[in-house]
Amino acid sequence: MSSKEQFNQISPSEFFYRNRDLAGFSNPTRSLYTAVREFVENSLDACDHSGILPNIHMTIKAVDPEKPDPKQYILTVKDNGPGIPSKHVPLAFGTVLYGSKFGLKQARGMFGLGATMAILYGQITTNKAVKVKSNADGKTRFDYEMLLDIQKNKPVILKKQETSSSEKGLSVSICLDGDYSKAGTKIRDYVYQTSLITPYATISFDDPKGEKFHHKAIIRSMPPAPTIIAPHPYGIDVETIRRMLVDTHYQIPNVDDKMIEKVRKELGMSKKKFTYDEIMKKTEKKWKSLTRPVRVVIALMSFLEADFEKLQRIRIEDVDLRNNKLIYWDYSTSQTLVADMDVESHYYKQLANTVQGESLTHFLSKRFQRVGPTAALEFCKFAKFKPETRVGNMTDQELVKLSDALQTYEGFRSPDPTCLAPLGDGPLEKGIERRFEPDFMAVVQRTASAYSGFPFVIEMGIAYGGKIETRGTTVYRFANRIPLLYDEGSDVVLKVVKDTDWNRYKVKNDSAPMIIVSHICSTRVPYKTVGKENVADRPEIEKELRLALQFLSRKLSGYMSKKGQAEMAKKRANLYSKYLPLVAQFCTELSGNKKEPNYKEMIKEETALTNSDGPPEEIKKNG
Amino acid sequence: MAKKQTKKETKKQTKKEKIDKSKNLISLLKKHGAQVYEDLENGEFPKFSIPNRSISNIIYDKKLRQYVLGTNTSLRSSRNSSQLRSFTQLLWLAFFANKLTHEKKSSTLRDVYYSSQAFAVDFEDQGESDNIIVDLEAVLSQPREDFYVFPEERSSIFGDLTIEYTIPGYEGKTQNLSSHPDGYAIGPSMTSAELVDTSAELVIAIEKGGLFTRFVEEQVDKKFKSIIINTGGQAPRSTRTLLKRLHDEMGLPVVILTDGDVYGEHIAMVIKSGSANAAHLKGLTVPDAKWMGVWATDIDKFKLPTIPMTESDIKRCYDLLKDPRYQEGLWKRELEVFIKIKRKAELEAFSKYGLNNITEKYLPKKLEESKSF
Repeated sequence: MSSKEQFNQISPSEFFYRNRDLAGFSNPTRSLYTAVREFVENSLDACDHSGILPNIHMTIKAVDPEKPDPKQYILTVKDNGPGIPSKHVPLAFGTVLYGSKFGLKQARGMFGLGATMAILYGQITTNKAVKVKSNADGKTRFDYEMLLDIQKNKPVILKKQETSSSEKGLSVSICLDGDYSKAGTKIRDYVYQTSLITPYATISFDDPKGEKFHHKAIIRSMPPAPTIIAPHPYGIDVETIRRMLVDTHYQIPNVDDKMIEKVRKELGMSKKKFTYDEIMKKTEKKWKSLTRPVRVVIALMSFLEADFEKLQRIRIEDVDLRNNKLIYWDYSTSQTLVADMDVESHYYKQLANTVQGESLTHFLSKRFQRVGPTAALEFCKFAKFKPETRVGNMTDQELVKLSDALQTYEGFRSPDPTCLAPLGDGPLEKGIERRFEPDFMAVVQRTASAYSGFPFVIEMGIAYGGKIETRGTTVYRFANRIPLLYDEGSDVVLKVVKDTDWNRYKVKNDSAPMIIVSHICSTRVPYKTVGKENVADRPEIEKELRLALQFLSRKLSGYMSKKGQAEMAKKRANLYSKYLPLVAQFCTELSGNKKEPNYKEMIKEETALTNSDGPPEEIKKNG
Repeated sequence: MAKKQTKKETKKQTKKEKIDKSKNLISLLKKHGAQVYEDLENGEFPKFSIPNRSISNIIYDKKLRQYVLGTNTSLRSSRNSSQLRSFTQLLWLAFFANKLTHEKKSSTLRDVYYSSQAFAVDFEDQGESDNIIVDLEAVLSQPREDFYVFPEERSSIFGDLTIEYTIPGYEGKTQNLSSHPDGYAIGPSMTSAELVDTSAELVIAIEKGGLFTRFVEEQVDKKFKSIIINTGGQAPRSTRTLLKRLHDEMGLPVVILTDGDVYGEHIAMVIKSGSANAAHLKGLTVPDAKWMGVWATDIDKFKLPTIPMTESDIKRCYDLLKDPRYQEGLWKRELEVFIKIKRKAELEAFSKYGLNNITEKYLPKKLEESKSF
């Protein structure tokens, strides 16, 4: 008997469909919450990166309110962000693994996969289409209704419609199985906490029970957007290098009319008809001032011995450096032709450079942060690579060797934090102040640090008293402006808070009306689990958290002791002005005197003692 | 005849004493008030010196045969912000007691608590006001009954005893206490009344209301020429005062009949020699009173049906063994027997042998016996 195993390739959609638990879509409760998160975070990210003050409106509606949970809900998230150009909509929402978030900078989500997962989950559970309305230019709104072909990982467009509208933004609406009665608390918490960490955003939420939650923006200015920066050599893997190579690989420019016009312009030969020789002559004079694409086009022309007219008739198919051939399609004769390339020609070098990519040292110093030409040379020596090696020609084995060496080389400077987007102590302070109106608050932003190559920044705030209604310390955890709500037990922030001896800071931990807001910003937050709910206790992060908390606790302690003294003094003064008159009254009657004794001076003295300590209002400001 | 004469003389004397006592109290309160007034006038913070009532300051006085307070005192000063409130409360109570004494109006512990609320002196609960009352007792060395604060009435009296009321509205009115078979409540009017005349030769204090009724029915008062008093468990202070007066003023011996358990034994002891709680007061004890039963040894002797002691009963036995008053004689012996047999018997246990068994058999036997100790 012969057994024949069949190997089937599965599409990414199918892979995710089979492993949806991993992405947080394990049950109706969790799925509804995850879907909310994915859409809201996508909207916030989009606004952040376009410098738009976010205004996000979310609704969850039951399809049939009479039915018991779990049941079908329609989730709609609408934003005022940049929108998505019409042609990208089907791919962005109709395929898995299509995203615009590749690149190293801090964002809430990594690749925008979650939203597609939510759409996929909705489709699986309800077989209803996703509705996307996008307006990217402020002129036209495109409405799509789509399904996802899971096997083929392709969108199936059911409906497409155009309307003119001046309102930019994106609205996504899906129908999915959910359990709001169980997920409701978490979703409301999520919305509330998100508004706390994004005080510049207006977020409103209409829940299925008809309740409306409106969190208005507190500040009108956005913290500086994170810049996209090159990755640091630490923490880079082979796949990332490969992707970078594809990215940096110079394309042979598309030689169309537009391009030809550009070449003419740069050469100053716009008007008339020119011969091939005239063009080459002019080129030699002007070479230095020409842009790279123009140089490449001229190099091609040199091998084809073409003038502008000939150039219009052909399309370049391949530049074969191994055989020094140039292959092109001639429209006039409708056939593929081949031209030889002269290896000695300096035009050859131009083409070769473009096709083979840069030298290794150039690649390292240009494509990575914290690597200069000297460091690149040093590294090449360390990794035993020739500095002039062309990255476009490197084999797979060499790439692996390069990646390994990048991890082990110790000469690179530590990562650059400009790719991080902490909220800043100002907005954080305002956020806390407006939401809690505390008697005392302090915030701190630590300087950037790094763990295994990833830069991170800790921001923390502490608030006490005022309108804080909870008793005992409440910790609000955030990572990259996302609230972390589940699995708090094993989180590093809570560990640090728990380890603190609050008595030392004159705080009764179990009854104090106190909140702590902790925000970890990093290009990669070390989550413990796939669910992204708790942060692992990396020693570097733990240390920074500890220092931040200690700094804040000391400030709180100062406030507490002043407050304690003021309260005591006030209480004392109150006691005397309350009881001494009674004492006077009783003893007057007991002793049979007619007039009360002169005791008022005694109260005055006690009250004066209190006033010299200063009223509590002043402490608030000092704190 | 001669005997009666003495009784009358004693009576006159006590009447005078009583008026003195009341005057004395009023002047004492006035003295304290004047001191506070003077302090305030001088810009000084007034204070009270209160005898310390903690266990370390309670001593058993063998001569007086009761507990007394030692010499330790604590200061309650209005200067100290943590004592200011209780200082004010104490002064208020003195003020309130002064009013009650002047107007001869009685009130209860609970009354005091509610009366305080008109003055914003902030008692948190009745427990706190009860404590302040004891503080004032200690400061004045007078029981609260003297300033007209009485506990709830739960004890009663029956027998041939004629009294003359002194409370406002009843002055001079007399009453014989054998005319109502349910007995008379021992309240403020009773404790303040003059004891005029009696044919009784004995006072029987009984722990339980049920047995009190039985004794009245069986005419124990006539058969044994006695006054019967129901203490209602641990005898309230007013009852103890009345017992003392019956003993001192009328020259009647007092016998006590309780359940056959450790608590019963202690009820008898408190009547005889007071409690640690009232160590700051004198004049509440009847040192010659006799515990007639039910003894631990009676249980076997009279073949009484028993119930087993609980763990807390046994613990109470061992606690009392450490008490200086239980170090000898009958008291120690019976306590040790209780510990040995680990069983107890109630007064009702005699009903096994007929309802009147206790009055017909047990009582005469024990009365006879009690003459010898």
